[in-house]
Amino acid sequence: MKKLFTILAIITCAIAIIFSVLPISNLAVFPAAFALIFCGIAFYLSKKTGKVKKIVQFTFLLTLCALSITAYKAFFVKNEVVNTPILNEKEAQFEEEAIEELENLDLESIEFEDVDIEKIN
Amino acid sequence: MTRITLIFLLLVALTATVSAQNKAIASGEKLTYTASYNMSGVLTDIAQVTMETSEVKTSKATLLRLKCTAATYSKWDNFFKIRDLYESYVNPNNLTPYLYNRDVNEGSYFKNVKYTFSNGTNTVKSVMKKKNNFVENKSIKINSGTKDIVSTLYYMRILDYKSMSVGTKKSFTILFDNEEIKGIITYLGKETISTAIGKKECYKLAVGSSEANVLQGKNSNFLWLTADENKIIVYGKFKIPVGNGELKIKSASGLKN
Repeated sequence: MKKLFTILAIITCAIAIIFSVLPISNLAVFPAAFALIFCGIAFYLSKKTGKVKKIVQFTFLLTLCALSITAYKAFFVKNEVVNTPILNEKEAQFEEEAIEELENLDLESIEFEDVDIEKIN
Repeated sequence: MTRITLIFLLLVALTATVSAQNKAIASGEKLTYTASYNMSGVLTDIAQVTMETSEVKTSKATLLRLKCTAATYSKWDNFFKIRDLYESYVNPNNLTPYLYNRDVNEGSYFKNVKYTFSNGTNTVKSVMKKKNNFVENKSIKINSGTKDIVSTLYYMRILDYKSMSVGTKKSFTILFDNEEIKGIITYLGKETISTAIGKKECYKLAVGSSEANVLQGKNSNFLWLTADENKIIVYGKFKIPVGNGELKIKSASGLKN
């Protein structure tokens, strides 16, 4: 039982660390929470039988590290969009092309103004 | 009696059609949203979505350009970079589309689709470009009233929700990937929600389902439009296999009213 919870703690801790360094860092809280629970159980069971293995404490520390990275990213890393000049260039290019195409279309004279519903009736 | 009811309904329908005139969307409007993934309340921001309008002048007419862009936040760019552009050139009064352009850049995937609408003949000239110089030209027969996805999104804003009763359905036909898709929105009533631009009273709409159980909360895609003259989309919730997708407004400027 002790071994099972230690293995589970290591696996969930590893997942938490991987998640915390990826853009989905916020989701690391789920495996981290499980890792802490499993570490706690493994620690309790180990203590009951006598000797506590170092790996349990190490896993616990790593989980705390994962949570710290997650918290740092959530509170201090700002979401921003970069590298948009290509998109802006495309927008301008598409607009030019669109105007050319629209010139060839048979558009009725449309004016940019509100149409009064009463007038239509 | 039946005849009178029929005439009354026809008049209501006619009024509803006429009232779908643009009194909500102005040129120069800019709405910015954050698209996020929500799993058990933990939000992960993925991309920024902007919806902009501008005036486009040709020698024959003045049109409204509706532009939507989606770009992933920098933290995602190394994993899966999205730079999508959707635009539609429409009649500013009733949002009838004339030209639609979709440019998709998602990771290594690229696609460009252009539709030129001939509203008189109900046909669309479609040009689809993909990687490796793949080009496909097609002429598609469409139903009258079929719109592209961008103009449909904006068209939802010019409907008169004030006169709608809870459960009222409106259907749309959308041309997407050279196919006509039926979409249905159901008006679910008013709801007040907190947004980045303040607490707003909104019209809640269920999107995409024609099922009768939509009022019992079985539908998973919802949109919240402000219950004022602008009717801007402030919040959207979409069901995905694990968790929810969310679209939250970040800022709004250049509003008409």
